[in-house]
Amino acid sequence: MLRKLMLVGLAAVVLFGMAAIAQEPVTIEFWHAMSSGHQPNLQKLVDDFKVAYPYITVTLVYQGSYGALQGKVDAAVVAGNLPAIAQVYENWVTPIASILYPIGNFMTDAEKADILDGLVPSNTYNGVLTTVPFNKSIMVLYYNKSLVTTPPTTWAEFFEMSKALTVDTDGDGKINRYGTAFRPAANPEQFLIFLEQAGGSILNADWTEVTLNNAAGKAAAEFVGSLIPYSYITSEYMSDHISDAAMFVDTSAGIAYNQKAATNAGFELGVATLPAGPANFNSMIQGTNVAVFNTPNLTQAQKDAAVLLAKFLIRPENTVFWAEKSGYQPVTKSAYATQEWLNWVSTHDYQTQMSKQMLNAFSQILHPNYGDMRNVLSTGFEEIMRGVVPPLEGLESMAAEIEALLE
Amino acid sequence: MWKTRRAEAEGKPKQPRTAIRPLRLSRDRTYWRETFEAYWYLLPAFLVLGAFVFYPFFSAFKLSLFKWNSLTPPGDFIGFENYRYIFHDKYFWKDMWHTFYYVGITIPVTLTLAILVATLLNKGLRALAFARTSFFLSYISPIVAMVMVWRWMYNTDYGLINYFLSLFHIDAVAWLNDPHYALPAVIILSVWHYVGYQAIILLAGMQNIEQQYYDAAKVDGATGFQTWWSVTVPLLSPQIFFVFIISLIGSFKVFTEVYVLFNGPGPLRSAETLVYYIIRSAGRIDTATNHTGRAAAASVVLFGIIFLFTIIQLTLTQKRVHYD
Repeated sequence: MLRKLMLVGLAAVVLFGMAAIAQEPVTIEFWHAMSSGHQPNLQKLVDDFKVAYPYITVTLVYQGSYGALQGKVDAAVVAGNLPAIAQVYENWVTPIASILYPIGNFMTDAEKADILDGLVPSNTYNGVLTTVPFNKSIMVLYYNKSLVTTPPTTWAEFFEMSKALTVDTDGDGKINRYGTAFRPAANPEQFLIFLEQAGGSILNADWTEVTLNNAAGKAAAEFVGSLIPYSYITSEYMSDHISDAAMFVDTSAGIAYNQKAATNAGFELGVATLPAGPANFNSMIQGTNVAVFNTPNLTQAQKDAAVLLAKFLIRPENTVFWAEKSGYQPVTKSAYATQEWLNWVSTHDYQTQMSKQMLNAFSQILHPNYGDMRNVLSTGFEEIMRGVVPPLEGLESMAAEIEALLE
Repeated sequence: MWKTRRAEAEGKPKQPRTAIRPLRLSRDRTYWRETFEAYWYLLPAFLVLGAFVFYPFFSAFKLSLFKWNSLTPPGDFIGFENYRYIFHDKYFWKDMWHTFYYVGITIPVTLTLAILVATLLNKGLRALAFARTSFFLSYISPIVAMVMVWRWMYNTDYGLINYFLSLFHIDAVAWLNDPHYALPAVIILSVWHYVGYQAIILLAGMQNIEQQYYDAAKVDGATGFQTWWSVTVPLLSPQIFFVFIISLIGSFKVFTEVYVLFNGPGPLRSAETLVYYIIRSAGRIDTATNHTGRAAAASVVLFGIIFLFTIIQLTLTQKRVHYD
């Protein structure tokens, strides 16, 4: 009897002790690059987190632009003073994947399966879900409703409509409005979308071979090449050139800017899913994930707290709140089924299309040289679209340069 | 002692050395004490320069010999491989050409305009202070804000510049979207930005020229232009030399104007400069891959170019700069 009492007493002491340890106040930093417009909403999420986990204090640290954040993270890796959690692009952390704390190890299978399929590969390192998606946008088709009544659903329709909508309105021999528009240098993802829709990819599955210039790649290059006469080419935001094209592919995160520009120009802007290519109508997801770091400067309690925050951010109610307030898209399947989100979609027409596109999407590859590959695509795609090189020649040139990056 | 050396340097006859040995010893002791004191006063400057100039420079050179690795910096020693890479990179040479193009046009044009502006301001304008402030405003305006205004002025459809061109029936120019006009757009902006600064420095120099030289020129019957060319310009040479060196170094480092104006390197990378190349290589633009070693190698090359040009300038202009 005494032995039993002692065991119960010991168990109680251990449990109370663990509870006491778990409740020990802990403070973590969350480095982010969300500008002033988004900060109150991010703060709201952090405040809600504090209510759920009163012993954890999260300090939001705004680090400026994405480039500045990347620089700070890089410097902190070297200095050994990383925050517990930070917003990161995939290719920033690919070279430092070994110092990431795998959030997926602390998630149930159901929680992991809830993340949108298109977002899983770009958050998985060495087969383990390591980071979780946070502020994600999707490329969609914007169109001028006064010119386009039914948006194109196939490449063929997209081509025909682009051609028909390219016009010289004042008869001076110069085109005043193009059917479509591209920002090849700033947004080479536009080419990657056509590549995906043709069934292609930059590299094969195990990254040993460049597949950019295979049959699918050639189909994509020839298609974008056929659009050159009907495309307005710029490096600036499309909101600055809203009247220069009847329809264009752009990020969902630009909806507020594009709509405002369209209203100022006197027309209504529509949003549609992308026209389908030979293989699919998939679009590319952009935006950052959140990573928890596993470095000696962080205590176990801080890492655990950061994991809790990461999981909290992708809870259905939170990813929906964030999406409604920021213009980014919910990142979990269950979020799309919440009543809150359905209500939001019912009052925001464009969201129906964005949500549909989000469920048919792909992400960037995690190759450590992806940043350089993107540079090659940016330069090569611009050379094609500005007519400096023929599409297939440009494609071969890009493939050769990417081949060199595999070595 | 310093005065003696200066006198020697200026070719003046040496002062007779009449001091006897003990006195000389004492003077030497004073000299060494003063020298020690001088170095003591200079120490803070040496520390600051050492920490923020010399150490980063040698560190950059060291980094240029390594393949950067964030986890165990500086990574693997690869000798001159980064230099070999950049010398075989066509964009390095394109960016080098863009930089020389920019420097080669910006500096002479800005300097010529600055001399003309300074001459006009020196003519004794009634509203001299207002004119000076107006010209200087372009320089003290925050560069990013200023470039944003120029972005609007360069707009193809509703920009101010194309509006003025249209008054002369000149077709609209796609300043920011045509590879042929991208770099000229940066040059025009830079000339406007720096001409006021240079003019103010030159004006200060002009106002310090002794009236006696002008009087002498007048007595000799020199015309206005002859006086300007033979009196003003030669006696302004220290200031001209100063702004020349400063603007040369600054121009080789052009980056912000390009980055803000185009939100990138310009159409077809037509306005990409060497510093842009360095920052891009270091992974600081978009979400590029970080090649710190490669960026360091390019920055060492840029340092070499600026150093070489500064030495050439110093050598060539030494005989033409008049300090009295």
